[in-house]
Amino acid sequence: MRNLFVTILLVILALGFSAYAAYPQLKLTVADIHSPAFHVKNINIQFVDHQASEFTINIEELGVQDHVWRNLNLSCGQFKVNERHIHCVSGQINLADSLSLPMVFQLNHAERKLMFEIKPTAKESWQVLMDWDEDNWQVRVNIVEGRVAHIKHWLPDGGTVPELTNGEIDLAAALSGDTDGLAHFVLDASLDEVSFSDPVGLHAGENVQLNIKAKADFIAEKNEWLWQTDVTWPRGEVFWQPVYLVGDGDRLSLNGIFGDERIRLRNGKLILSEIGEFEFSGLMTRSGHELHDFELHADNLELAVLFERILKPFFQDTAFAELEVSGQSNLVWQFRNGVSEHLMLDLDDVSVIDQRGRFAFNRVDAHIPWRANKVTIADISILSGHALNIPFGSVRVPLEIRGFNLLLPQLVLPVLDSELRLENFVASYQQDRWFWSFNGELKSIPMARLTEALQVQEMHGTLSGHIPEISYDGREKVVSVKGELLFNVFDGDVVVNNLSLLEPMGFAPHLNADVEMRNLDLGLLTKTFSFGKMEGRVDMDMLDLELSNWRPIGFDAHLKSSPGNYRRRISQAAIENISSLGGESATAAIQRSFLRFFETFSYSEVGWRCVLLNNVCLMGGIEHDSGSDSYTLISGGGIPAITVMGYNQKVGWEALIDRLKRVTQESEPIIQ
Amino acid sequence: MNRVFCRFLLLLIVLLFLPHAVYAGANLEVNTPAITSLKQSMQGRHIQLVNYYENGAVGFTKDGLLALRDANVVPLAKRQVVNGLISAENQDRNLLYREIARANKHPEWEKEIRATFSQRWIKLAKTGWWYQGAGGSWSQK
Repeated sequence: MRNLFVTILLVILALGFSAYAAYPQLKLTVADIHSPAFHVKNINIQFVDHQASEFTINIEELGVQDHVWRNLNLSCGQFKVNERHIHCVSGQINLADSLSLPMVFQLNHAERKLMFEIKPTAKESWQVLMDWDEDNWQVRVNIVEGRVAHIKHWLPDGGTVPELTNGEIDLAAALSGDTDGLAHFVLDASLDEVSFSDPVGLHAGENVQLNIKAKADFIAEKNEWLWQTDVTWPRGEVFWQPVYLVGDGDRLSLNGIFGDERIRLRNGKLILSEIGEFEFSGLMTRSGHELHDFELHADNLELAVLFERILKPFFQDTAFAELEVSGQSNLVWQFRNGVSEHLMLDLDDVSVIDQRGRFAFNRVDAHIPWRANKVTIADISILSGHALNIPFGSVRVPLEIRGFNLLLPQLVLPVLDSELRLENFVASYQQDRWFWSFNGELKSIPMARLTEALQVQEMHGTLSGHIPEISYDGREKVVSVKGELLFNVFDGDVVVNNLSLLEPMGFAPHLNADVEMRNLDLGLLTKTFSFGKMEGRVDMDMLDLELSNWRPIGFDAHLKSSPGNYRRRISQAAIENISSLGGESATAAIQRSFLRFFETFSYSEVGWRCVLLNNVCLMGGIEHDSGSDSYTLISGGGIPAITVMGYNQKVGWEALIDRLKRVTQESEPIIQ
Repeated sequence: MNRVFCRFLLLLIVLLFLPHAVYAGANLEVNTPAITSLKQSMQGRHIQLVNYYENGAVGFTKDGLLALRDANVVPLAKRQVVNGLISAENQDRNLLYREIARANKHPEWEKEIRATFSQRWIKLAKTGWWYQGAGGSWSQK
């Protein structure tokens, strides 16, 4: 950098002196100049006539970085010259073929001063002032209402960097140094109404205002630069895929040391409006551009704004795209010798609510420390929340953290006036995937509360059960159960086998299971569903059950009377409802006979079968009548006895559900 | 020899077309609760996406999804919104292909179902909308 500047300076001086020294010669040629940063070919200086009323400087080729400009031309039609002084009063600089700009310059050899100014318009000015002596030199650059479009030719191209399309720049920069090169640099610039965009518009800004202050001093003894930068963003909008931000006084301050081998950031501060402040420092190696150390502190971050403005776009392709987050957070991150050493996250009164209604955590306070190769304990308190609409109460989670493994020996979660006891919870993060497992126990949960929470048909009794090992495999995105899941409901037993849940947090979770229910109390069951009173016990198998998005798409269900001795009675209303499912009304037949004098009847067996496939329920009963399409739903026995037949072989699933809803919502039929 | 060759040729043809013949048995109109809710979700979003189909901001990709083709025609403040719409639509489309394959009891058909739907979307696209050809370049219908 220092050598480059000296080279440029020498070129300018050489051009100036050579032209002056050459007078009254008419033409001279300067040799090609090559440096690692730029090159110039064929510089020709020519006085147009012997009166020296006009001279031109032609540069055949100027290359800076990857840019090459050809046929640059500087001409001065009105200038004054004496032994001490060259003053171009009115000139033109022609950049490329199309762009021609008015220009003036003065070179005072005696005072060793050079002034060069381009004035594209009456208001716009790009000025360079230089002065020097044997040991030192200074350059000042002033830009007044400069159009940034002029700069774009000097920026790297190739579609990787957004192109400046509009806006103005006001700038005052001062550079100074000695024969060894640049030693001090001060910049004060403001960009206004700036627009930029890459070709596809994924990185673009409009009406951006930026104020930039920068300063750098070279420390010769250490051969390094002390630098500081302060950027404020008062207004304007930027879309930097996938984030959209609007400037509102946001500010970035950086200072540090720039050496031959390393860049040290001593103090960095980023103030994001309405979000909070981030303070950071770090060290980066110049060879390889590798981050060696980094430390970040942020206090009292407003999570609602941070998540909505910055984090949410990164979750768009995940199941967490529709979260609503509130509360405050503190964050510490220490990265040393190329690896993360320490991370600490504090949450203060944070709520996370899934807008799709799958879960919510309300008023979370947490202190979550993490250290590489050390065991830490996170303390997480949750006031309330819900998972799949099942609410849970206040809980404190002492989570043990060992690197990327989490352990929780036991947790008692208050659920619906009872509790869910989780044991041996372990989770690990491996190859960008989560794996976890736990077992536990569900204590008697009132079914009335549970069904109310799930917004389904009210049921009575309690639900309790043993939970075997449940594990999640992040590669397959499957929750699976090792062993049987046992529950007690309707005074009977429920065994769930082969349970697996694919993509539990996805948009369409898939559940597969085989469910066996034994000895359910028909009295409790029919009371629950207002189905008409039945007394007795039933077993039900629901094999190959498949739920998609929590709704059934397939199963083989078979309900039948449980073996054993128990009272078996059925009301007229229940007969009517069962028979209407089978396709025929029994009420009329009952009313035509003496049976109308009885409110309840005896039965020996009930049976119903439904194989759900492609939205159609293939129905059956206790058994098929040979030679007919009918099947027996209720087999009579005792006095008075009644037998109910079914005739519908196929019923659309939605129609069946509608029919069930109707019969459970209607009042019991009146028997005269 | 000719008969042997004919048999060989017949076998080759059968083998070549067997995967397609098996897939051809797929019921693309199969309905499950998940598929119904996905279709409803996509129909609801379609109204918001139509403008972006028409102005060329969004195009149909060759793999049955959507892509932000030209963000320049979308106001800056709306580009994140369009990104969100595309993301949500692509999630629904990916799930739709998978759910249809699952509902057909052949999860392995997802790729073929996706390819068929890709052609369907392009066929259903209106004049002026953009789609991606097999080579990846964009064409206007």
